[in-house]
Amino acid sequence: MNSPETDNGITRDDLVQRVALMETMIAEGRRNTGRFGWIFILWGMVCLGGIGVSYLLPRSYWVWPIIIASGFVIQFAGIAMRRRSGNWTGENIKSRSVAAVWRMMGIAIILYAAPAIVTHTIHQIAYIAAIFMFLGMAHATSAMILRWKAQGVVAGLWWAGGTATYFVPRDYVITIYVVEMVCCMVLFGVYAMMLERRRAAAPLQGQVQHHA
Amino acid sequence: MPELPELDPVVHGKLRLAVLSLLIGVEAADFTWLRQKTGSTDGNLGAQMLKLEEAGYVAMEKRFAGRKPQTLYRMTPAGRQALAAYVAALKQLLGTAL
Repeated sequence: MNSPETDNGITRDDLVQRVALMETMIAEGRRNTGRFGWIFILWGMVCLGGIGVSYLLPRSYWVWPIIIASGFVIQFAGIAMRRRSGNWTGENIKSRSVAAVWRMMGIAIILYAAPAIVTHTIHQIAYIAAIFMFLGMAHATSAMILRWKAQGVVAGLWWAGGTATYFVPRDYVITIYVVEMVCCMVLFGVYAMMLERRRAAAPLQGQVQHHA
Repeated sequence: MPELPELDPVVHGKLRLAVLSLLIGVEAADFTWLRQKTGSTDGNLGAQMLKLEEAGYVAMEKRFAGRKPQTLYRMTPAGRQALAAYVAALKQLLGTAL
């Protein structure tokens, strides 16, 4: 049965279809389309590598600056490669907000860690706890922007780890550090990458094949 | 009886409407992203983007990302206005279609 026509020859079904198409596309445009899972894995590995090397070379204070600088070089190279490969996606307010949170957290950590490295105070409990709190804050803010519960859980784990460092024997602080890096960076990064791949592979509802 | 509004034919095209709806949520988007999201072909999308450009609803910018050329599209204020007018007309038509 044909849908009733309006005076200008357009059917109601046609109009309803247009509304559905607009809703789908507007939602798609507003979705955060960035791919950042690999960055969590990278920094998780960098921090685990750093702790491993500083365990092997306990008196070498150059370890952390070199390892962190290497992490930045790899990250910027990766981002540049993605841009060159044409994988640039539409930037929106949400993606820019999340990117801003992480960039500012990165700057804050550098400003906080650099003097600690120079003054050889990076092994103090308060230093490690503060880094965990920074990371928890960035995850929590990002989770609120994205309304992503899994990231909220990760934020909670960072904060719990930061708090726990004050209450456990000093020898266990390294265990907390390793567990946090594995769970909240590496595994969370793997999970984020899996979601990104699934999202990229999923066909869009209401894709437009028709001409004009 | 009130007169029914005319739907802007430039906005009404399915692919063009999809593109405008995508662009309203982003600051800029490249051609590849728009093609991927709409599931259209290079030729069809290129032709429809040209129509939107000619109508003044989108603005195109060509740039290089490394050595690779990139075509970026942004919605113009006229495009936003046209889409808003289209939605208003759509609402009115849907309210009076039956």
